[in-house]
Amino acid sequence: MLHLSILLWLPLAVGLLGLLAPKRAARWVALVGGLLAVALSVAFVLDFDSGSGLLQHVTSDAWIEAFGVRYDLALTGLNVWLILLTTVGFAFATGWLATTDDGRGDRARQLFLHFGIAQTAVIGALLSQDVILFIAFFDLMLIPFFFLTVMFGNGDRVPAVIKMVVYTLVGSLLMLVAAVAIGVLSTPDGQPISFSIQTIAERGVPEGSQGWLFACFAAAFLVKMPSFPFHGWLADGYKAMPLPVLAVFSGVLSKVAAYGFLLIALPLLPEGVADLRWVVLIMAVISILYGSLIALTTTNARLVLAYSSVAQLGFITLGVFSLRTDGATGALLQSVNHGVAVFGAFLAVAILSQRAGGSEDLRDMGGIATKAPIFAVFFVIVTYAVLALPGTANFLGEILILRGLWEGPSVALAVVASLGIALAAVYALRLFILSSHNRVGPQAEPREASKAQLALLAVPVVLIIALAIHPQQTIRAADAAATQAVYPAAAVVDPVAAEQMAQEAARYRNCTGWSCFRSAPPAASDGAEVPGGTGGVPPEDIAIDPSTGQPVAPQGAAPDQGAAGEGEEIVIDENGEVVGDDEEMVIEEDAQTIEGTNR
Amino acid sequence: MSSGWFLAVSALVFGIGAIGVLTRRNPLLVLVSLELMLNAGNLALITFARMHNAAEGHIFAMVVMVVAAAEVAIGLGIVVALYRNRVAVDVDELRELRG
Amino acid sequence: MSPTDAAWIVLILPLLGAVILGLGFRVWTGRVAGLIGTASVGLAFVFSLVSLFSLLGRDGEGERQIASSLYDYATVAGVDVKMEILVDPLSLIMLLVVTGVSTLIHLYSIAYMKGDAGYTRFFAYLNFFVFSMLVLVLAGNFVLLIVGWGFVGAASYMLISFWFRRGTATSAGIKAFVINVVGDIGMMLGVILLLRHTGTVDLLETFAIAEPTFGPESGNTGALTAGLLLIMVGAFAKSAQLPLHTWLPDAMEGPTPVSSLIHAATMVTAGVYLIARLHPLMELAPTAQLVGMIIGALTLLVAGTIALVQTDLKRVIAYSTMSQIGYMIMGVSASVYVAAMFHLVTHAFFKALLFMAAGSLISAMAGEQSMDKMRGFKKAMPFTYGAFIIGGLALAGIPPFSGFFSKDEILAGVADQGGWYWLLWAVGYIGAFLTAVYTWRMIFRAFWGTPVPEAVELEGGHLHHAAEHRNPKTGEIEDTEVGFPGPEHHIAERARPMKIAMSLLALLATVGGLLGIPHVLMPLEHFLEPVFHHDAPQHVAGGGVTILGLVLGTVVGIAGIFVAYRLWAVPPAPKDEAARQRVADNPALEATTISAGYQARFAGLHRFFLNKWYFDELIDLLIVRPVRAVGRVSRDGFERIVISGTLVGGTAGTVRGASALVRRMQSGYLRSYAAVTLVGAAAVLIYVLIQS
Repeated sequence: MLHLSILLWLPLAVGLLGLLAPKRAARWVALVGGLLAVALSVAFVLDFDSGSGLLQHVTSDAWIEAFGVRYDLALTGLNVWLILLTTVGFAFATGWLATTDDGRGDRARQLFLHFGIAQTAVIGALLSQDVILFIAFFDLMLIPFFFLTVMFGNGDRVPAVIKMVVYTLVGSLLMLVAAVAIGVLSTPDGQPISFSIQTIAERGVPEGSQGWLFACFAAAFLVKMPSFPFHGWLADGYKAMPLPVLAVFSGVLSKVAAYGFLLIALPLLPEGVADLRWVVLIMAVISILYGSLIALTTTNARLVLAYSSVAQLGFITLGVFSLRTDGATGALLQSVNHGVAVFGAFLAVAILSQRAGGSEDLRDMGGIATKAPIFAVFFVIVTYAVLALPGTANFLGEILILRGLWEGPSVALAVVASLGIALAAVYALRLFILSSHNRVGPQAEPREASKAQLALLAVPVVLIIALAIHPQQTIRAADAAATQAVYPAAAVVDPVAAEQMAQEAARYRNCTGWSCFRSAPPAASDGAEVPGGTGGVPPEDIAIDPSTGQPVAPQGAAPDQGAAGEGEEIVIDENGEVVGDDEEMVIEEDAQTIEGTNR
Repeated sequence: MSSGWFLAVSALVFGIGAIGVLTRRNPLLVLVSLELMLNAGNLALITFARMHNAAEGHIFAMVVMVVAAAEVAIGLGIVVALYRNRVAVDVDELRELRG
Repeated sequence: MSPTDAAWIVLILPLLGAVILGLGFRVWTGRVAGLIGTASVGLAFVFSLVSLFSLLGRDGEGERQIASSLYDYATVAGVDVKMEILVDPLSLIMLLVVTGVSTLIHLYSIAYMKGDAGYTRFFAYLNFFVFSMLVLVLAGNFVLLIVGWGFVGAASYMLISFWFRRGTATSAGIKAFVINVVGDIGMMLGVILLLRHTGTVDLLETFAIAEPTFGPESGNTGALTAGLLLIMVGAFAKSAQLPLHTWLPDAMEGPTPVSSLIHAATMVTAGVYLIARLHPLMELAPTAQLVGMIIGALTLLVAGTIALVQTDLKRVIAYSTMSQIGYMIMGVSASVYVAAMFHLVTHAFFKALLFMAAGSLISAMAGEQSMDKMRGFKKAMPFTYGAFIIGGLALAGIPPFSGFFSKDEILAGVADQGGWYWLLWAVGYIGAFLTAVYTWRMIFRAFWGTPVPEAVELEGGHLHHAAEHRNPKTGEIEDTEVGFPGPEHHIAERARPMKIAMSLLALLATVGGLLGIPHVLMPLEHFLEPVFHHDAPQHVAGGGVTILGLVLGTVVGIAGIFVAYRLWAVPPAPKDEAARQRVADNPALEATTISAGYQARFAGLHRFFLNKWYFDELIDLLIVRPVRAVGRVSRDGFERIVISGTLVGGTAGTVRGASALVRRMQSGYLRSYAAVTLVGAAAVLIYVLIQS
């Protein structure tokens, strides 16, 4: 049976299991575990119903009752593909580590344990539907990477990693404060406090506080990405991390930050987003130009990718804050694409550096394409993905983001951001040419990559091609959830345009407008597991208060949970404490349905 | 006899213990002083229990004694380990935790 | 088989070829690779013909534009992008030209590239290029159009940088790629802008609603013009029009078949195809049309002047290509679609032929491309010479060769609109004169006069082999492992596949005019009619203008050839000592005896043309350097001082300062900890007491 908790804790369990295994076998345990997680997440993706914008596979249990913190997990259109990206990325990096000395050495078991913790943390952050749970996992992500860098990193790693940790923690602490405040401020008098994203969205956060709350969340996410000007830890941090670890860090962890905006900031703090979005948009545009320009001039192969990530995440942020379906969908698609491309790019850098006497300086490389034709082909495909050649899914992501910008906040923004595409072509091709073409470099020693390396590199290449040929599945899964996520904030900015956007987004679905995303579809009772709360309230029509411009009925990320959500609050008390009002019976019934389905 | 006297004795013993902890440099004597403080606490607990005619104070006192016994066992263990590792035993030289 | 089914097969075949060659690059190393590559494209040509006849079998105009989609590519925010092709007479013409010319060039390459270390790789790339070009041509919606646009850019990059050990080749490659990406971005933005009003990316749907959406009453004409101008940036970049043309001459670093296929016959004409494809929109935006016409006219003039003074054989032809595409862009922008497409077809024939002949000549020179070293190949290479003559006559527009009809038809169509359009007409004929001069300059200089040693050696039956190959630009020794020209080279005189390919193209260049003799025989016009039928004024010029044009075109062409003949064919013996010395040092300079005098007299102008109107320098100054400088300042200045210094340093400093304060409390003395605990407990106690 598919259960999200299994997916969540599997990597950690595998990591612990690896501790029991003999040193030499640790990597095999980790690899099998990683592939198992991939298989499980593939099963989830296949089982995912792209047609509905509902929470699926809901798991809801009490965690810290006293503070209303719950262990709420769910699969949504926002996270389903990111989870697959995560498991694939970790399996890829595990496979990569297995070929290195670290993966075979004396400390392999610790290495893979930390890897398992990291994967559990990332999956947890992606699945969480409770703000505090999200933050717990979000901060947990940092810890294994601290140890991985300190234990297995290179160069001057301790100061670098401390810088990174301090930076990230400052953001995280602000976010924690804001999260607690959101929970407290949104709780009406006399009701139990709740940190469930659903519940908070229904209750609404007081308008006056949304500004600083959003700023706190943004600080955490922008540092994690990182975005200009919070990227101070980037260069040192990236240089210090071992490359396989860095591939995951850059490919997956940075996306969690972008995802955080869509999960928490946009739905819960629409007023704050509407007030401050221009700050974020402008920082994102500067990130694109600034990151690209530095990537263009630096000669360190790793830093080219590091700063290109700054630029790419700038694009993703722009997409999210375009507050449009296409922009946000493009951002999610781009998150997946960039992750995949970065896996390949970092592996390519590792292979190149092996052939340049361990140097990562582009000036030491060059000309290995003759002797390494297969590698060169794989690398050029990865390069095309990085520079978003039309035809790759990266291109599709960028065009969606640009359209979102053009239709949404500003045409000028779209035009300036598009300069980033031209610059990307320059730095990505420059990386390829200087490392693989031209004369053989002073330290370069052209030879083909090993079979294991080629097999690993084939993974991102195949994924890039697959996404290029058929991106629809990813887009289809994302766009309903993306519309839900951006709608509240978009409605604050411009109610009419938001409604129009929702109607457009519903064009190829069998429903109209915003109601399309609010209503529950006919109960999908396929026997095995009913997605939580499908027996929700009948659809409501949207009503916009003309004076405030806010939707009168505050909506959550997954509106189907209207009734079930209320029910849940009571269901939480599994010890039988019953709220004595006349809805009791209904609620209990609901509760039983949910409990029954999740056991 | 009024409870006040018992409490006064308790406070006095506690004070002696506290001064001992703060001023003595020999870990053994520090431990002894700690015991004094604990027992002062016990005395106070029992006194209050008698005052209010409740059993909780007695129970607490018993718990404290158990904990104290455990603590002494560990504390002495540490002191013995210190004797083995260092020639002079002086708490002021145990400054590894300094920031 | 329906036209679209056949078109899908046409699309798949070259991709299949590329994949088979790519996967089996260790297996199919020799001639087999060339045959596989040629066969896949040849089959594609056959299926294009199938598609053509299938389409011709349908009657009724409406049935000649058929779209077919495989699956939904991306559906988001109310826009449905399908994996969709559009088959109509216009795309079929392109389909036939692309697959047809490609087949011949593949055939040519079988011999030309023989002995090159990257033989299989070359055919895999070439097949991939054909696939990309077909995506572009067949695209049924804007997104796929941009995809094809990007793919041909990538294929072009890979082929320009084919000899990737040459620094000049890789930098030419990146230049071409980046300029084309600029074009792609223009197209992306333009499409987004149009999409805003149409709500669909499908081409046919867009055309269907073009009139109500963008017509004069709609008030959206400004948006349409802006969108089209942005899309035309893409067209100009791909078709090497001013000011985005600088990559094309550099692209001659690629192997000659590549120049022939991509940078003459097919890819660079994509801009023309694009504008013709979007004609229902272009008709509604006169300003965009105007811009297109002016750019086309300027390009044909500028490129013509540059071609006059260049000495690199391939670059001369490259500038000639630019100039000819200028005609086509001018034509499609002036609504003379049929004539422009006609010129596109004939140009593909004769320009591909010229490049092939140039390849043969360059091989005979062992890789040397400078005309300053060539002379007197007439006797040594009669076949190549013949090909040059046919290509040259067609390019110069001499009847009855194909270029004669097509070029004049464009100009007649332009002139027919009257008014200041006559100015463009005049520019066109000035360009035609320049064309004849530089084309025949090339022929006279290379083939007439006293043979150079290479030619003599060839006449004696040996092919000249240079001791070591040097890059003509940088002078560094070529890496023959992956550098031009490989250990062997081949000339048309000896290699049968090259000869066959060139013969067929020569035939087409000669009789291609039959596709559209004005007022007499116009099969192309009739075939294309369903596409362009709804454009009110069909600009087929009236009889008077046409006849005037045909006569003038002939006169101008012959005059140009005559001038070239006087200047370079049989120059007199050098008069002064300096000139004599020059010729003695390099016999090939014999040809320039007269022209050197003119060069000296108009030194400024000559330098201006020789330096290509300083476009490269201008772009370098305005864009490349500022970008690099900003990048360097960001990296070394801003990043270090503001980000690392102030922000990071500031944060770290604050943390360190705060921790220093806290640290002082951690004395390590047991007693101080105990005292703090005690004091704290006492404080709590006192607080509680006071409160109660």
